[in-house]
Parts: sequence; structure tokens; C-alpha cells
Amino acid sequence: MESALNAIFEVLSFGAIIVLVVLGLGIIASMMGIFNFAHGEFVLLGAYTTYLVHGAGLPVWAGMLAAPVVVAACGFVLERLVIRRFYAAPIAAMLGTYALGLVIRESVRGLIGGLYISVPEPIVGSLIIGGVQVSRWRLAIVIITTLVMVGSYLLLTRTSFGLRVRAALENPSLARASGISTNAIYAITFTFGAALAGLAGALVVPVFSLFADLGIRFLIQGFLSVMLGGVGTFEGPVAGGAVIGVMSAALPWAVAPVLADVLVFVLAIVFVKFRPGGLIAGRRF
Amino acid sequence: MADSAVSQAYRSVPRPRRIPVIPIVELALLLILSVLPLILEDYLTIFVTRVLILALLALSFDLVWGYAGILSFGQALFFGSAGYSTALLARDLGITSIFIVLPASLVIGLFVSLALGGFLLLGRHPPTTIFVALGTLTGSYAADRLARGWYYLGGQNGIPAIPAMTAGSYAVVEGPVFYYLAFATLVLVYLLCRFLVRSQFGLALAGMREQKARIAFFGYRVQQLKAMVFSLAGAIAGLAGGLYAFHEGFVGPNMPGVVFSTQIVLYALFGGVGTLIGAVIGVIAVEIVSFWLADNYQQVWPIILGLLLLLIILFRPTGLIGLVVSERERVGTFGRPPRTLPRIAQEGGEEDQHAAP
Repeated sequence: MESALNAIFEVLSFGAIIVLVVLGLGIIASMMGIFNFAHGEFVLLGAYTTYLVHGAGLPVWAGMLAAPVVVAACGFVLERLVIRRFYAAPIAAMLGTYALGLVIRESVRGLIGGLYISVPEPIVGSLIIGGVQVSRWRLAIVIITTLVMVGSYLLLTRTSFGLRVRAALENPSLARASGISTNAIYAITFTFGAALAGLAGALVVPVFSLFADLGIRFLIQGFLSVMLGGVGTFEGPVAGGAVIGVMSAALPWAVAPVLADVLVFVLAIVFVKFRPGGLIAGRRF
Repeated sequence: MADSAVSQAYRSVPRPRRIPVIPIVELALLLILSVLPLILEDYLTIFVTRVLILALLALSFDLVWGYAGILSFGQALFFGSAGYSTALLARDLGITSIFIVLPASLVIGLFVSLALGGFLLLGRHPPTTIFVALGTLTGSYAADRLARGWYYLGGQNGIPAIPAMTAGSYAVVEGPVFYYLAFATLVLVYLLCRFLVRSQFGLALAGMREQKARIAFFGYRVQQLKAMVFSLAGAIAGLAGGLYAFHEGFVGPNMPGVVFSTQIVLYALFGGVGTLIGAVIGVIAVEIVSFWLADNYQQVWPIILGLLLLLIILFRPTGLIGLVVSERERVGTFGRPPRTLPRIAQEGGEEDQHAAP
């Protein structure tokens, strides 16, 4: 019983990590129709910022606060310089962001070498809830993910800013005709997505440690989650991320780990093949 | 979208006959490559042989993306599966005869790509480009993971020490002999592709890439056509994989993997897709520069490569080849020009495509 609960918590916390990564990816893909192949590298940048701040002698949580801001700034600059040119051409966007990701990844690799650098958890130790010992930091990840998710949802559905964003998604030309600057909306959305990626990177770095290929690990998982959930909704990518994350964490208990990883992806692709709209199809917010 | 760009470029180009650039580039490359082993030292010949094999792979990507508009991030999957299969043939069955292993690698590439392409491309819902890109990427990733975890395939270490390919009692070892084998294969495959994309079939492909719906209205089965090109390209990639396995004497789990898949995409984009020769030039250019820079600037080179690529995608979507080849020639002519039509139709097949409906 206890170990089963433990396993459930493990699965839950890994699912939360994937949801956090997918959230930014999904928002960018849904809002702007751009599949950002550099998203994994934004996660990496967040992790790297945390490491840098920690290396400068400041506490880890300071790095985690700085990461979303730094990555958002990077995202903003890149959007203005590069991504903006891709809105009309989603395929070029995929290739362009891939090249961008390559530059970021190789730069980080040049800076840290081929090392695996561990960053300590800002909240150490574990606590016992209902007879189950859970790591405090993983619990914190689950809580923060939930807060961020709810916050983003409220921002997009309950505020006038969210209304504008949705308008720009639904019908860009009508939104422009109504005096909404879709240009600015896109810039803000992309920056917001980048900030979420930075936050995800900062939160997961104590769990996975920092290495140059950290982002690749999340890239395919992230995209499959977005496809699985369905592009164009808020709930879709989140649900997809939850399913992929939970499956990736739970399946190794049932089958050999090597097969489990592959199986999750194959199942997701097969599902999307027969239901192209994804889990939550047709509903836009 | 691209349709109007094409016709606009078409109008802005002056009518008088231009000297075609692509055949000149092709001939020059053919000449240079055919004498290279006589000039180069052996270790460089071996290096160039590998580049030629990779060019074959890039050619297969150009066929699917540049002509059929299928964004395949999985060319390395076919390359790798064929490489592994031929390596197993050589290791476990002792078959190294060139007349068996090369056709075998071709057939394996064909079957794997047929299976994957059939799944991804055919069916009731026509797939989106993103779905195909992700599906091929996933296939490549899965193959990488399986190869890493499967003891029979050598796990992380791959299959080392593959014996040399044989033709009768003669062993085809790396060096000038293998070079000419790879070169001849590349030329043959290139000519085949060149014939194909300039035929009526190629016209249908180009039309499909530019505007799928219109080609569908003409009565073509668009998805079947795509699956056909996809599996043909898979066969080419498989052939390249067989050559590669025997040339390197080694196959590893990176070979079918994602990194390699995307590398090929980058090479082809760098050289310029949709011209065939662009993909070959891309591979040669990137590989030679990496070879020079690898010693001194090993860490900086991938960053530079990424930046260059970004610049090319942003400002020169036609790639390196776009610097010397006009848009009109890049689009090319298709089939045999009909004799009875007025002169203007003979100059470019593209014109009657616009006039026809």
C-alpha cells in the first residue's frame, strides 16, 4: 500500500514536470500556430540561469526567481529579431526555431562542457503525509505547477488581456480591425511561453541536474503532448502533458524501461493518427 | 502562396534564353569528384567517401521535402535500419557479397519506409505536416532507444568490426575502390532522381507541394503519391546505410537516431532543397568546413553552423544553390515540351500549368 502510494506520488510529480514544460509550448503553439523547436533549449536556459546564480553565491531560490525573467527577456529579444518573421510560414518556423535551439544548446555546451552539474534543491528533506514519505521539493513542484496552471488559465479566460489574446488567436484580422495590436499580443504571448519554460527549467534542474542535452529530453515529449491534447485549446496540451508524463513515469513499473519510453511515444502517435484533433478536440477555450 | 511567388518571379525574369546553371554545376561537380582520389591522400579519400554516402542520404531527404513536401525527420531511421541489418547479415550469416548486401539494404530501407509512410501518410484523415514531422522524428527516436537497449544489436556499443564487402573473391576496402563504388552509386541514384523529378511524375509532385488541393482535383491520389516518394526515398536512404555500415566497419545507435536525422535535414537545407544538386553541395560544403574547423574550433563550429542555418532560413530559403541559380531554373521544366504548342510553352512547363485550368 505504502509503496503504491509512493509510486503514485512519483508518477504525479513527473507528470507535473511535463505539464509545466508543455504549458509554455502549448500556449505558443495554440496562440501563434508556431511549433517552437527551441522550447527545450529555453528550459535549458532556465536551468543554466539557476546554476549561474547559485554559482555566484546566491541561494538557489534566487536563481529560480531569476530564471523566468532572464529566459523571458531572451524570448522577447528572439521574438522581435527572429520569430516574428516566421508567423506566415509555420514550416520555416519549425526549422528556424530548430536552428535557434541548436545555437543555444551548443553555446551552453561550450560554457559548461560535457559535464553533468548538480544543483541542490532549495527545500531539502522530506515530510510524511498519510504514512507516505514524500520529498518536499517534488511536492513543491506539484504545488507550483498547479498554481501556475490555474494562474495562466485565469489570465487567459478571466482578464481583458486574455480576451485580447483569444481574439488574436480566433481571428487575427478582425482583432486587428478592432484595434488590438496582434503584433504586440504575439510578442507578449511568446515571452510568456518562454518565461514558463524558464521556470520549468529552474524547477527541474535539482531533479535532473544540468547538462547540455537537458532540453532534447523534453522536446519530443512536449510536442507529442501538444499533439495528443490538441492544438488550439488551453486544456488540451495540459491534459496531453499529464497523460504523457504519467504514462512515462508509470509504464516502467510494468514493462522494461527501454520499451516503456518507446511505447509511450508510439501509443501517442497512434492515438493522434486516428484522432487528429487530440483528446480535447474542437473546443477553443 | 508560393504559387504566386513563382509566377511573379517568372514574369520578372527576362525572356531571352539564359545559360542554365544547374547542369554546369552538376558537370563541374561530376568532373571534380571523378578525379579526386587521384589527387588526394588516402585518408582524405576515405573522408570524401563518407561525404558521398551522406550526400546520398541528403538526396533522399531532398526528394521527400524538396519535391513532395513531406517534412521527414526520419531519413536516418531507414539509413540506420538498413545499416544494422546488413551489419547483422555480415556478422551472423557471414554474407558480405556486394550483390546481396547492397540490394538487401535497399529493400530494407524500402520496407521500413513503406511501413512508416503507409502508417503516417495514408488513411482517412490526410495528415498535417507537423504530424508527419513528429511521427518520423518519433520513429527515429524509438529506433535509437531500441538499438541502445537491445543486447543482440550490441547496445550502446553498436556492432563493431564489420568485415569488408566482397565482390567475388575481391574485398572492397575503404580507399579509392570504395570511393568509386560510392561515387558510381551516387551518380546512378542522382540520375534516376533527376529523371524522375523532371518527368510528368515530378510535375505532379511539384504541384502537390505547391497546392495540394488543385492536384487532388486533377484526379491524382495525393497521399498515395506521397507515400510512393517517401518509400522511394527510404530505399535510397537504406542503400546509403548499407554502404555506410561497410565503409565505416561499424554501426552504432546514433545511426538511426534523432541527432543524425536532423543533421541531414540541416545539410540539405543549407545547400538548398528542391534542386537535388543543392543537397549534395550542402553536405559537401558543411562536411568540408567541419573537417577543417573540427580541430581548432570544435566547440564553436556547431554554434556557427546553427547561426548560418538560421540566416539561410531567414534570408535565403533557397540555400547555397539559390545564390547561383535563378528561381525560374530552380523550379525547372517538366516532361517533354509539346511540339505543336507555341514557343512560349516550350520555354517552361510551369507556364502551361498555369494556363491549363
